[in-house]
Amino acid sequence: MNALGFAWRSLVRQPARAALGVLGVAAVGALLFDMLLLSQGLVVSMRGLLDRSGFDLRVTATDALPGQGPRIPDGVTKADAISRVPSVRSAIALRFARAAVDVDALRDRSAAVQGISGNGTRPWTIIRGRDLSAGAEIVINETTARASGVEPGGRLVLRASCSEDVAAPPPMTFTVSGIASFPFDTATAVTIATSIDMLAAACGTGATRDADVIMVASQDDPGTNAAAADIQELVPDLRVLTNTEAVRRFENGGFTYFRQISAVLTTITVSFAVLLITVLLTVSVNQRLGEIAALRALGFSRWRVVADVLCESSLIVGTGGLLSLPLGGLLALELDRILKRIPDIPADVHFFVFDPSAVRIHLLLLMATAVIAALYPIRVVARLPIASTLRAEIIG
Amino acid sequence: MTALDHIVDAAHVSRVFPMPAGPVTAVADVSLRITPGDHVAIRGPSGCGKSTLLHMLGCVETPSSGTLLFQGQDVATLSDRRRSLLRLRQIGFVFQRFFLLPMLTAAENVELPQSEAGAPRADRRQRTKELLDYVGLSARADHRPSELSGGEMQRVAIARALANRPGLLLADEPTGELDRATGEQIAALLDRVNADGTALVIVTHDAALAERSTRVLTMRDGRIETESRS
Repeated sequence: MNALGFAWRSLVRQPARAALGVLGVAAVGALLFDMLLLSQGLVVSMRGLLDRSGFDLRVTATDALPGQGPRIPDGVTKADAISRVPSVRSAIALRFARAAVDVDALRDRSAAVQGISGNGTRPWTIIRGRDLSAGAEIVINETTARASGVEPGGRLVLRASCSEDVAAPPPMTFTVSGIASFPFDTATAVTIATSIDMLAAACGTGATRDADVIMVASQDDPGTNAAAADIQELVPDLRVLTNTEAVRRFENGGFTYFRQISAVLTTITVSFAVLLITVLLTVSVNQRLGEIAALRALGFSRWRVVADVLCESSLIVGTGGLLSLPLGGLLALELDRILKRIPDIPADVHFFVFDPSAVRIHLLLLMATAVIAALYPIRVVARLPIASTLRAEIIG
Repeated sequence: MTALDHIVDAAHVSRVFPMPAGPVTAVADVSLRITPGDHVAIRGPSGCGKSTLLHMLGCVETPSSGTLLFQGQDVATLSDRRRSLLRLRQIGFVFQRFFLLPMLTAAENVELPQSEAGAPRADRRQRTKELLDYVGLSARADHRPSELSGGEMQRVAIARALANRPGLLLADEPTGELDRATGEQIAALLDRVNADGTALVIVTHDAALAERSTRVLTMRDGRIETESRS
C-alpha cells in the first residue's frame, strides 16, 4: 500500500475529522477563489467592455478622463483628419452634455447626452429602429424608452446644457430614430445620443466643433500601436491612449483598492486554512504516535511516514479545494449581484469575473497550503523518537 | 564461530539518557551474542533496562558506548535509512500493545511490511495467506483489529513481524495484555516460530514464558546479573 492509499485509509478511518477538514478547506477555498476573482475582476471586466466597444484608441486633450478635462479644440476636424490616416479604420468625435427630458417620469433625472461626428463606427448598438441620419434625430437607451414610453418614430423634447457659461436654451424637439444599447450605461442611466451639430444646436452654443474625446478604431494591420504612433505624430498636442493603457490607468487608480483588499483577505483566508489543516493533522498524528513509532520500528523509513502525512494533507486540501470551486462560483455570483447595486457602476461591469489565471493561482495557493500545513506534523513524525514513544505508549 | 555467524554481537554496550536531573544509565556494559536459532528471554524488574536493551538489539536505538554489530555491521555507523532497511528486512518486532493499524484488515496489516520492502503483489498475497494460515487466522483475514480478540491481534502482529522472513524476532512483553490461557497460546506460537529457525528474544515479566527459553538473562540496574541456559 503506497503512501496515498495509506493516507486515504487514515482519513476514512475517522470520517468526521476528515469531513470537517474537507468542509473547512472548501469554505476557506471558496473565499480564497472569490478574493482572486475580485482582485482582477473589475480590470478584466473593464478590458472586455473597452474591447467590445469597437474602438481601440482614445484621443483626449489631457491625461484626464474624457468629459472630466478640457475639450479638444476643433475636435471634429481633428477626428476627420485622423480618420484619413492609413492605419485608422474610422474615427469619430464625441461631445458629452447633460439634458433634461421633458417627460413626467424623467423630470427629476438628468440625461447623459452624447454628440457624435461623422459616419464611422458608433459607440452604441441599435436594438430597435434605425441609427441616426440627418436632421433632429436621437437614439435613446432602453431605460429612457421605458420611462418615456417613446419608441422609434416618436418624439422627445430635450433641454440640453453643454456649458455652465451659456444661458439655458429653449427646449428642442427630437425624433427618436432608434433604441440603442450603450456599453458604459449604468442600470438606471438615461442616455441619449445625437449628432454633434444637433447637440450644439440644442445647447445653444452655435456651430462649435470642440470634442471631449476622439474614438478611433485602428486597422487590424498594422494594428493598435502603429495607429497610436501615427495619430500622435499627426496631433502631437493631444494624448493617445490604447485600451491596454486605459486599463493600466484604471489598475493604478481606483481599482488598486480592490486588489489591496483582496490581497489582505487572501492572506487571512490562506492563513486560516493552514491553521485548520495543521491542527487537524497534528491531532491526528498525536493520536497515532504509537502506531507511527511501531511502523518505524518495523522498518518504515522516516521519508515514508513523512509522505503519509503529506499525502493526508494533500487529500484533505485537494478534495476541499475541488469543492471550493463551484462553491466559490456561486458565492461570487451572489456577491457580484450585491456589489453591482453601488451607484454609477456600468451595468456590464462585473466585480467577479471568471479568469483561468485565478483558478491556476487558487490551485497553487492550495497546494502551498497543503505543504505548509503539513510542515509541523511532518516535523513531529520525522523526529519521533521510536523507542521512547513505544515505552510511553506502554506506560500510558 | 566468526562475527558474521552471530546475528547480534554486542560488546560492552551502554545506553545513557541525558535527563534534566542528570544522565540516567539504562543499560550498562552489557555484552551479548545472539546466534541463529537462539531462544532468549530477558527478565528483570521494571526499569532495569530490558526494553532499552531490546531496542538496541533491534537497531531502534544505538549504544552510547560499546559496539553493537548486527550481522557484522556496526549499527552506530549506519544511517537512519540503512537502519530502517535493516529492521525491515532482518528484524521482526512484536509489541505488548500489538500496534496493528486499525483501518487495515488483518491481511493488509501483514502485507504492509512486504509492500514497504518492495515485494511483488502476487508474492505478498501468497506470503500473507501462508502467514495467516501459520498463525491460524486464515478465516479472519478480512477482519479489522477491532473485530479480533487480544490473542488474535497478537497472532496477526506475529504474522506481520515474520512477513519479510527476518532472522531475528524481538518481542516486548508479548503476553502482557493477554489472559493466561491466551498467553499460553501465544507462547506456543513463538516457540514454533523459533523452532522453524528464527532467533527469538523476548522481554517478559512472565516466569512461565521465560522458562520456555533456552537462555534466560536476568537484568538489574542496567546490567545482566545472571544468565542461565537450559
